[in-house]
Parts: sequence; C-alpha cells; structure tokens
Amino acid sequence: MADAKTTRLRDYGLQSERLLWPTKGPSKFEEELGVEELEQALGITTLDKAVRWAQTKSMWPDTFGLACCAIEMMSIVGSRYDLARFGMEAFRSSPRQADLLIVSGRVAHKMAAPLRQIYDQMLEPKWVIAMGACASSGGMFNNYAILQGVDRIVPVDIYIPFCPPRPEALMEGIIRLHEAHLAGIPPAYERKEVAT
Amino acid sequence: MNDFAKVPGYVSTTEAYGETTVVVDRGSIREACTFARDELGFTMLSDLVATDYLEWAEKGVSGYIGTAAGRDLNMPMTQGLQALPDAKPARFSLSYHLLALRQGAPRLRLQCWLEDGETVDSVVTVWPAADWLEREQFDLMGIRFDGHPNLVRLLMDDDWEGHPLRKDYPLGGEPVRFSSAE
Amino acid sequence: MTATLPHVGRARRWPMVGDPIYEGSRIPTRVPTIVDVPAALRETDDVLQVNFGPNHPSTHGVLRLIVDLDGEQVVGLSAVIGYLHTGFEKNMEQKTWWKAITYPERIDYVGYQNNELVFVLAIEKLLELEVPEKATWMRMLMCELNRIHSHLVFLGTSALELGAISMFWYCFRERETILDLFELVAGQRMHTRYFQAGGLAEDIPAGFYPEARSFVERMPHALDDYLTLLDRNKIWLERTQGVGLLSADDAIALGQSGPVLRASGVDWDLRRDAPYLAYDQVDFRVPVYNGGDVYDRYRVRMDEMAESTQIVRQCIDRLERMEGEPWIADDRKVVLPPREELHTSMESLIHHFKIVTEGYRVPAGEIYVAIESPRGESGCYVVSDGGPRPWRVHFRAPSFAALQATATCAQGSLIADLIAIVGSLDAVMGDTDR
Repeated sequence: MADAKTTRLRDYGLQSERLLWPTKGPSKFEEELGVEELEQALGITTLDKAVRWAQTKSMWPDTFGLACCAIEMMSIVGSRYDLARFGMEAFRSSPRQADLLIVSGRVAHKMAAPLRQIYDQMLEPKWVIAMGACASSGGMFNNYAILQGVDRIVPVDIYIPFCPPRPEALMEGIIRLHEAHLAGIPPAYERKEVAT
Repeated sequence: MNDFAKVPGYVSTTEAYGETTVVVDRGSIREACTFARDELGFTMLSDLVATDYLEWAEKGVSGYIGTAAGRDLNMPMTQGLQALPDAKPARFSLSYHLLALRQGAPRLRLQCWLEDGETVDSVVTVWPAADWLEREQFDLMGIRFDGHPNLVRLLMDDDWEGHPLRKDYPLGGEPVRFSSAE
Repeated sequence: MTATLPHVGRARRWPMVGDPIYEGSRIPTRVPTIVDVPAALRETDDVLQVNFGPNHPSTHGVLRLIVDLDGEQVVGLSAVIGYLHTGFEKNMEQKTWWKAITYPERIDYVGYQNNELVFVLAIEKLLELEVPEKATWMRMLMCELNRIHSHLVFLGTSALELGAISMFWYCFRERETILDLFELVAGQRMHTRYFQAGGLAEDIPAGFYPEARSFVERMPHALDDYLTLLDRNKIWLERTQGVGLLSADDAIALGQSGPVLRASGVDWDLRRDAPYLAYDQVDFRVPVYNGGDVYDRYRVRMDEMAESTQIVRQCIDRLERMEGEPWIADDRKVVLPPREELHTSMESLIHHFKIVTEGYRVPAGEIYVAIESPRGESGCYVVSDGGPRPWRVHFRAPSFAALQATATCAQGSLIADLIAIVGSLDAVMGDTDR
C-alpha cells in the first residue's frame, strides 16, 4: 500500500462516508463542512460544479460483465430497477466511449490483462466500481485462479459487497459515486495507487 | 448388464450405486472406446475426468486418523472409524463417462489407471467431443494424450507452469487469518 | 433416438485425424473445434484476422473468438476460453460437504439451482439418503422456474445481440417476477443455496403458493407477447432460419445435449428418459425440431418455457396438499437438528456442533449424476474418500460441449450469423470455464 500517494476521504476533512439520497438541501458532505467551506477546501468553482453535475448525470458504463454479477447488472437496466433515470442505460461497448467500468464478476488471472487494457483505453475522467465480493477481494475464491480483488490492477472508487449485489445495492454504489464526484472527490486514479 | 469381458483390454467390472465401472488397460483405451461406441451403442461421450489419488492410502485423509494396523478405540475424535481407504492401482484414474441414447439411458464408466508421466491414446477420432475434454485434463492434471491434434492449455494461461488440480499443487490465493483450508 | 454412428472404427485402419469422422460429417477434420482457413486463401491478402476479444458487446461473457474473415464470410475460427476459470474443483476439495454446496451455484450462474441440485443429488446418492417427497417436489419446482429464468435470459440477450433490443425489457420483466419468487422462498434472488443434502434448507414460506400461481397465470400471456414480437418478424426469421446448421449425428458426436440436441432432431431429454426427482410423475412434452438451425433452437427453448410453466403448475397443485410435511430428511448424522431442540437435547447440540465444524462423512466411492439443466446435460462426478471433504469434484458442463460445436455450426456463415450462432448455443462462460 503506497502511503504517500493514497489519500483517503478523511484527508479532505470529511468525517463520514455515508451518502444519502440527493435531497433539495446540501448533501451530507456539505453539511459536515458547511457549504462554503467545502468549496474552499476543495477549490471548486461554479464552472467546475456545473461540469461535475453534467458528468454525473450521464456517466456511461462499459459492458464489462464477467460472471454472475453481470446478470444482476443486466437486471439493473431492466424496467424494474431502471438505470435510465440516471442517464446510464447506454452501456458503451467501446471503452473509448465509456466513463465507468463496473467490474462485475470474478476476475481470473487470464482476464486480468484484458481488464487492465480496457481500463487503459478509457479516457479520463474514468471511474471503477468493483461490484460484488469477487471483484472487491476475490470473494469466496481464495485460490490460484482468481485475482484477489480487482484493486490489485486498477484503482477502484467504489466497492459493492454481497454475492451478487442486489440491483438496489449496485444503484446505491452508483449514487454514492455520483455524490462523491459532485462533492469534488477526484476519481480514484488521482487519489491512490493500485494496491499491492 | 451385458458381458463387458469382450471389451478390449478388459481388467475388471464394478457395480456400485447403480453404476457400472469397467476398468480397462491403459494401452487399449482407444480400442475399448471404439468397441463401446460401435458394439455396445454408447454413442455419446458425456465426460472425461482424471482424478489424482496421490497419498490416498498413506496418511489419514481428510480428518481420518487411520492406521493400517486397525482400530484404536482410545484414539480421540475418530469415533472408532479408523480404516485407511484401499490402495488404488496407480496415481491417476481416467474415467470416460459414456451414455447410450436409448431406452433407460444406460451409462458406462470406462476407467484406466496411469502413473505420472505415462500417456494415453487420444479418443478424438472416436468422439470429437473429446477434443476440449482432453485438453482440459492435460491442462489441469498434466496427462498427455497421444494423437491429439492440438494438445495445448485450454483454461489456464498459455505460459502457466504446473498443473493446478494435482494434489501436490497448492491451492494458492492469499493467506487469511481464519480459514478452514488446511 | 436410435441415431448411431456409421461403423468407422471397425474399419481396417483407424480414422486418422484428417478424415471425416463419418461420411457426411461437417465437423472440421483436422481439429474438431477449429476451422482452418482454406489453403487457397492462406497466402493472399484477402483474409483479415479479427479478435472477438474476451470483452465484447455480446452479452454471453468472456469468450474469445479468433475469426478469419474473407470479406464478411467466416473462413477460419477458433475459440479461446479460460478467461473465467475459477478453480471451483480445487476449492471444493478444501471445504466440507455442507459448505461446498455454495460453490456449484456460481458455475452456471444463470441456471444456478440446477448445479446445486446435481451436486446435492450426488451427495445424497453416496449417502443413500432418502429425501422426503415435499422436498423433491419443491426442488423440481425451483429447477423448472430456473429453467424459465434461464431461457428468458437467453431470449432477451440473443434478441438484443441480433438487434431486437426491446425483447430484452420484455423478458426481464418476467424474470423479475421469478426472482421475486426465489427471494420469497430462499431470501436471495440469485444463488439461493436453498437445497441441502437431504432436502431443503427451510420450509416453504406462507404466501408462496398464491404468488407462484399468479406467475403461472401470467406466463402464457407473456410467451404470447414474445412470440408476437419475434416469430412473425421477417427480419428475425431471415436472420435465424438456415443459419448455424448442426446435423443430428454431428450433434451426438460432439456431445451436445439439451436444446441444441433437440433442435437437431434427436429426441432426448433426461427428465423423461432418465427421470430424477419426480419427473416421472408430471406430464410434460419434450419439443423436438428437425432443422438444426438457430431458429429451431430458439423454438425449442420457447416451447420448453411453456412446458416448464405447466410443470410448475402441477408442482404447486401437489405441494399445496403437502402442508405440514417434513422438508428435509430425518437422518441426524447429516442434517442439522431444528434449533428449538438445541436448548433441550444434548445429543442435538453435539451433532449440530460436529456437523457444522467437522462436517458429516460421506462413504467412500465415486459417482456420476446427470440432470437436464437449461443448457443440456449437467453432470457431477464426485469421488469421496469417506471423510468430511470431497476428494475430487468435477462438473460436466453443457456449455463446454456447446462451444465445441461452434466451429461446426459456423462454417460458411457470415460474421453476423456468427453472433446468432454463438447466442443460440447458449453458453454461459462460468459453466464453460469452471
């Protein structure tokens, strides 16, 4: 674990990581610091806020379904758990057109190289969500074949536990990512290195 | 069932749990498979499995504290069940699970035994389904099949060393504090 | 059903690799799973090698196809798998029998109950354990619901790949109802881990039967919807009929089973021909079509969905009369005692402790059990040494066999047809790579 480069959210002065649904008022992050302080603490201008708002409202994921979590990711596009209300139903097949990489499923060592290649082909700003236990930490497969956590090769913004996560859990992860981005948190590749 | 004694290379037959296992000699497995396909009518190869019996009868396996000498009622945590399993003929067993597509769905297991380093004839010409099945067993267990047109690794990386499913290959992964794995 | 191979092996010489396996076979002769670029095209500039990489827009997972194209025509094909190899078999050797049941579900992650079922059936056969009737019928109900679920995912995703994008949302609407039923019964939408060696983990909850009945009432109307959208659609018919032909003899030689085999004209279904659970006590038809193309595989799966709905209805009728019966076997050496007994009975407490920590012992032996999963014959080969952990577990994956047939089906097709073919073979990569 790199100590100098990895910055945690608390380094920004944020006490809690708990994000709530966006309400009309300030978000939890903003409440903790006070609205004006947040902007000063993170150096966000109004234009920056507007750009972040736009990025959040249409963050297109890449079709990176690997295993069982991919089936739950497909059902989030379905009509019951509708991802289109967040502007994200357009799953791009080409990583060059995608913003968000939802690693859904267990990553075998053979697949690790294509995963890193896809991540490198994405244009910045880009985010990574490790969906499910297998992508977060190797899950129940602590063996020779599975990468023990996708954060060993790509920097991850949000980890979503469970096996497989319910579509609502995945949506909560996505919304937390939106809120973090709105609050000014930079994407993971600026904050941390890949875990060793 | 019918007389399996006519299978080329026949060694023995066992019946257990409603299944028939015919053990054949390693050198005549291709003739035996052709016989099973043509004469006995087992036209479909369901599965091809290799099992590694390293240290099967040597140490207490999976919780048994067995001795070849026999029971010791005073040995704790054994419930008196101490019997080492019977020794197997060789290290690897190769089982061909065959299916006949007729009334009653008869199944047959053709089995041959081999040691590490020995090879077996490939049955790709008998059932093309054996192509990837044999490649998989070569990849994971290290059994080479003579006459296979494309015997390269299938599931692991092309430059992977070792054969993961063997008993002397470690499970891998990362060490965790509490694990039931020994 | 009496398809036999011509007697090639009895010839005076072995069929060498390079000869067709029998007269009229379309299986590639050098390597059965690789289509080689014809010699005439090999040195020219006309052939373009395209990598259908492990990450591609088709939704069936991490399959890599290396395709040689002459214009739009596929002249060479080889499939590379292993991008989802998880080492299930080695991991399961380290877990006790009870804990290992969570692993098979993740193998075929679309038809997960079937993998659980086959492993649990193998353990029960080695243990020679008698499963109560209620558990048998409930297992059948769950597996048939899972069959409908799997075929809905197949239909939604293959229609999506061929451009009929709105089918995806129609199919997933019904799929959500099925997952609601699973959640009602077992507490989780996918990977329910509801089957136990000896029966079910828990009793069927109250309120399940009305929900299941309303699903059964709704499903035929939903199937009508799908048929209306696709079956008379000229584009769908043009893209699927006559594409990806697989003859009956080729299918048997390649070890196919399930809908792929039945669409090639072979009347074979393990539920009817080698009945397990209680399939000999329910009425259902087995759809068989003779065309061997993508359209027939789609029709087989549509008909199977209708038949599965009837089986589910019959299971509900039967289960409603079994209120109050035991849902798991009575053998306390294998099955956990009910929790109320732990407060009063010392033996129950000791048994509970031993079963959870050390695990129950399964007698030594080897066994192969096969069931009809939505993809075909799904089998489990178990070797037990008499201890609390399996010695060897191997799963026979129907998707593994189905992908071997890609080369045979895809000869002479266009690249757009290749997508249809791979989608119709319905291969789940978790099942293939294990």
